[in-house]
Amino acid sequence: MQQSYIIDSAAAPWKRGASEGIAFSCQVLLSGEDGGPEALRFRFDDCPSVYAHMHLTAQFQLLLSGAMDFPRGVKHLESLAIHYTDHNMPYGPFAVSRNHDMLVLHPRAGGIISMANLDARRQINLQGRLFAALAADAQWHPLPGVDNTTYMHLIPAGLGPAAVVVNAPAHAALAMPAPSFGRYEVVLDGSVIFEGQELGPPGFRYVRGDHPVEPLISGDSGASVAFLTFDKDALEGGIIGGGLAAEAAEMMARAI
Amino acid sequence: MTENQQPAEKFRVAVFADFVCPYSFLAVEQIDRLAREYDVQPLWRPHWLHPDTPPEGCPREQSPDAAARAERRNAWMKEMAPDQFARMRYPEKRQYSFPAFEALEFACDYGLDFAYKTAVYDLMWTEGGDIGEIDTLLNAAERVGLDVGELQIALEQRLYADRALDAVKQAHRIGITSTPTIFLGRTRINGWHYYEVLQSVMEKQGMRPRELIAH
Repeated sequence: MQQSYIIDSAAAPWKRGASEGIAFSCQVLLSGEDGGPEALRFRFDDCPSVYAHMHLTAQFQLLLSGAMDFPRGVKHLESLAIHYTDHNMPYGPFAVSRNHDMLVLHPRAGGIISMANLDARRQINLQGRLFAALAADAQWHPLPGVDNTTYMHLIPAGLGPAAVVVNAPAHAALAMPAPSFGRYEVVLDGSVIFEGQELGPPGFRYVRGDHPVEPLISGDSGASVAFLTFDKDALEGGIIGGGLAAEAAEMMARAI
Repeated sequence: MTENQQPAEKFRVAVFADFVCPYSFLAVEQIDRLAREYDVQPLWRPHWLHPDTPPEGCPREQSPDAAARAERRNAWMKEMAPDQFARMRYPEKRQYSFPAFEALEFACDYGLDFAYKTAVYDLMWTEGGDIGEIDTLLNAAERVGLDVGELQIALEQRLYADRALDAVKQAHRIGITSTPTIFLGRTRINGWHYYEVLQSVMEKQGMRPRELIAH
C-alpha cells in the first residue's frame, strides 16, 4: 500500500499549548488519526527544563531554529540538527532556547508520556537507539552523477534510520529508493514541487510503500531538502490498546 | 523450578562507577535498594573517569558556559532524583578518586565494600568531604566498622594500589565507557536509569522481590 501525504506547513494554523507547565506554540500538520503518520511543529518558549518523556513510536525531531541542550548524552544541538529516537526511548529533561522551532515526525500516532509515570518507566525500550547530529558538524559531498548537487549525512547510512540533506539547483529531480518503512522529505530552503504542488520551507511530503515514489523537483531557485527515512522500528509500538497507550494519546491530545 | 523459586544460579549485579561521578551517586541509592528488595549482592567496581586529575584535585571550569551546563545538569538531577538532589552538595573541585578505589579494595577483603562505597559517596556528595584525602576515607571506614588504623597503613603504604589499578584496567578491558554501567544478570545498562527499569530488567530474568517470595 502506497502512502503519500503532502503538507504545506506555512498554511497550517498555530495554536498555543502547554504540557506540564511548559508553554509552546504548535501546528498539527498530520494527526495520525487515519492510521497514517503524525507530524507536529513545536516552538517552545525558552525553558531550562522540558520534562523527560517518550513517544510510543519512532521519531525524528528536526530542529529548524534555536537550540536544545541535553545534560546527558547528546549535549548541545542547534539548528539545523536532527534527533532520532526509537519507540519507547525516553529523552530529556532538556533545555530549549533561542527561538526554538522544530518538526516532530512520527510514522504514526505516537502520543507522549512523561517519565514521571512509573508504569511508563517499566516499558522503556532498553535496546532503543538515539542518534543526534548537527548539520554544522557534517560535510557536504557531491552527489554522483548529478551536476551541482551536494548532500550530507546527518545520520550516516548503515545505522538503520537515515537523515540526509540534499542541496539541489533549480529543476533537479531527486529520486530516492522505495520508502518501505516511511520517509519524510522536508523542504529546508528554496522550494520543491511534490507531485505537482510547490512548497516552501518547512513543507514536506511523507511517503511510504514498497515502490519508489515520484521524484521531487526543486523549484526555480533550487532547494535544500532533508530526507528522513525510518527503518523497521517504525513498525513497533504505537497507540495500540488501552493502558499506557491510551494515556499517551490522551496526554498528547491535551498538549496540542 | 516452581514459580516461587529463584533461579538456581546466583543472579549477578555489578556496577562500574567513579565516586566523582554525580550520576553514579544517584545510582547508589538505587543499587542499595535493589540489594534490600532482591536476593542479590551487588559488586561495586571502579571505572576511573578522570585519571588526569592530580592528587590534590583540580578546579572546576568557571565560565558562563560552565554555569549554564551546571544549571541544566541540576535541572536534570532535580527531575530524575529529587530526594538525592535535595541532599547533594556539588564539590567545588574535581576530586582525585584513586585512593578511594584502593580503600574499596581494602573494604572488599573484609566483606564491607558494598557498605563502604555508600559511606564514601555520602561523605563526598552530601557532606562536603574530599575523597582525595585519607581522612575522608578513614571517616567512611569508621562508619561501616572497618579497622581505621589498618586502612590508614594500607593507604599510606599503597598496599592496595596494584589491585585498584587492576580493577580499573578490568573496566577498560570489558569496554566500560559510561559511568555508571550497571550489569543486571545478562543485561548491561549504560548510564543511570530509573529504578523501575532495573526492577523490570530483574523481573524479566526471573528475579522476584524478597517480599513476594516470602508470600
